[in-house]
Amino acid sequence: MRLYELSARDIASGVRGKKFSATEVFDECLSRAVACDGKLAALITTTVEAGRAAAGRIDGRVSRGEDPGPLAGVPVILKDNMCTHGIRTTAASRVLGDWAPPYSATVWELLSSAGAVLLGKANMDEFAMGNTTSTSAFGPTANPWDVSRVPGGSSGGSAAAVAAGYTPVALGSDTGGSIRQPASYCGIYGLKPTYGLVSRYGLIAYGSSLDQIGPFARTVGDAALAMQILARHDPRDSTSVPGKKIDFTCREGALKKKRVALVREFRGFTLDAPIADAMKRVTRLFEEAGAEVVEVSLPTVARYAVACYYAIAASEAHTNLARYDGVRYGRAAPGAAGLKEMYETVRSEGFGVEVKSRIIAGTCLTEPVRSEEYYVAATRVRTLIAEEFRRAFESADCILQPVTPSLPEKIGEMDEDATKGYESDLYTLPVNMAGLPGFTFWTGRAENFGEKTGLPVGLQLVGPRWSDGELLNVGFALEKILGAPKIASL
Amino acid sequence: MKLGGEEVRAIAAEARLSLTDEELAKAVRYIGSFLDMVDRFKELDLKGVEPFCFAEAAECPLREDSPAAFGGMPEILAGRTEGVGSFFKVPRIVEE
Repeated sequence: MRLYELSARDIASGVRGKKFSATEVFDECLSRAVACDGKLAALITTTVEAGRAAAGRIDGRVSRGEDPGPLAGVPVILKDNMCTHGIRTTAASRVLGDWAPPYSATVWELLSSAGAVLLGKANMDEFAMGNTTSTSAFGPTANPWDVSRVPGGSSGGSAAAVAAGYTPVALGSDTGGSIRQPASYCGIYGLKPTYGLVSRYGLIAYGSSLDQIGPFARTVGDAALAMQILARHDPRDSTSVPGKKIDFTCREGALKKKRVALVREFRGFTLDAPIADAMKRVTRLFEEAGAEVVEVSLPTVARYAVACYYAIAASEAHTNLARYDGVRYGRAAPGAAGLKEMYETVRSEGFGVEVKSRIIAGTCLTEPVRSEEYYVAATRVRTLIAEEFRRAFESADCILQPVTPSLPEKIGEMDEDATKGYESDLYTLPVNMAGLPGFTFWTGRAENFGEKTGLPVGLQLVGPRWSDGELLNVGFALEKILGAPKIASL
Repeated sequence: MKLGGEEVRAIAAEARLSLTDEELAKAVRYIGSFLDMVDRFKELDLKGVEPFCFAEAAECPLREDSPAAFGGMPEILAGRTEGVGSFFKVPRIVEE
C-alpha cells in the first residue's frame, strides 16, 4: 500500500511510531496531487514549501521524543474559504485577488496544533454559491470517477481531492449541502455538523445563520477523528455553543433498536434508479441489523424549504458580501474618480454572475418595501421547518434520505437556468435551516445505469441537534457492512 | 411578481453592481424565477409565528467588551489596496 492510500489514523500512528516520516507522507501525497490535478483542478493553491516545512517540524518533534498529536504528519486540504495566515485565500473569487489573511481560521489552528500538515487550498464555487464547483473564478473541478462530470459543490475541490487520494481528510463548508452533496458525488464520507458545534472564526461568510464547517474522509473513523479535534467551543465565534461534550468514539452495535425514519413526503419524488435502489437496500440493512424503520412527516419542509433557504441565504449573502469594497483587501480599482465608482468597478469586475445574481436577489428581498413579505416571512417559515423536524425526532433517532435526486451531471449541463438546479437541493437545504447534523455515506457504485454506471451513490443520515457522534456511529456500522470507498484511479 | 430591467438595474445599483446588458437579461430572468419561488410563502398563515432563532442563542454569551491586542497590523496594512503610512487611501468621497 502506498502512503497516500493510508487513512489519517494510520498515517498518524505510523509517524508517531517512526514507521515512516511526515516528510515521506507529505511528498507521496503531493506527488499524487500533482499527478491528478491536471485532470481534476481540485486545488487553487498547493502549499508545497509551507507544507514540507511543517512536515519537517513534525519529524523533528518525533525524533526528539515528543508527541506531535493525533494528526501527526497527516496532510490535509482546506476549502479556500478558510483563512490561512500568510497563505493566499481566495473563496474562488477574483474579488479577493491574492489576499493573504493576517490570521488563521480556528479550524486550521486546531488541526495544525494536532499535527496536521497543509497540502493545499481547494477549489470551490465562488463564495460557496453553487452546487457544481463550476462558478469558481479558477475554472471547474472535475469528478475523479468521471472527469467529464461535476464533483458537486460548493466544496467540490475538497471532495474530489480526498476521493482521488491527495489527502485522507479535507475540510469543507456546508451552507445548504456543500459538504454532503460533493461527498455523495465523489463517493466518500462528509459530515455537516450541528450548527454551533464547530467554530466558523476565519471562515469567509456566505449565509451566516447556515454556514458550518465539517470534514470529508474516506473512512468514518477519520471523519470522527477530525471531529474530535474540531468540535470545541470558540469564544471568537459567538454562535459557537459552549459546554457541548460529544463522544466521537466509533463503537460497534449502533444499529440495534435504532429508530430510523423515512420521510413520507419524499416518497413520491423521482430518484435516479441507483439512488432509489440504495434507499431500499440500506433500509433493509437497517432492519436486518435490528433497527426499527419508522415514518415521519415533513410537509412544510417538502414544499417550502427550498424557497425559504434561498430567501434567507441570498439575504445574508448580500449583507456579508457588502464588505468587498476595494479598500481593505483584495481587488483594487486604481484611477476610480470617486468612491461609488470604485465600489462598482471592484464589485462588478470581481464577482461572477452567480454571486451577482444572489446579491441582487438578497438586496431585492430585504428592501423595506419587500422585506416583510419575503425575508421576514422566510424567517417565520424557518421556525415552522425547525419545529417540524423537532416533532419528527420525537419518534425517530435519525432520518435516512437521499442526498440528491440524481447522480452527477456533465460539467456545463446546469449552467442555464440556475434556479431550476436549486430544486435538486431539497434533501440537503432543510438540514441547515434547522441547524441539524447531516452525514453523507458511501453505499456503492451505480450498476446498469447507462453512461452513469460506475458513479458513486451516497445517502444521507440526518439527526437531531448535537447527535453528530451518534450519526457517525451509525455510519461506522454501515461502513462495516457496505465497505469503505476506494480511491478513484486516475 | 415580476421585475423589469430598469427595476433590476436599480436594485443592482443599490448593491453597488453595474451590469452589462447580457448580465442584466440574465439577472431579470433569475430574479423572476426567484420571486416566483418565494411567492409560495403566501400560501401559509404565518400570523403568530416567531422569526427563527436558535434555541441556544441565550447560551452564546458575547465576549467581554475589552480591548485586545491584534498582532497583525503590518499585515493588515500590507493587504490594503492603497494607502499612505498607516492610513487607508480612498478616492474622493464627496463627488462633484
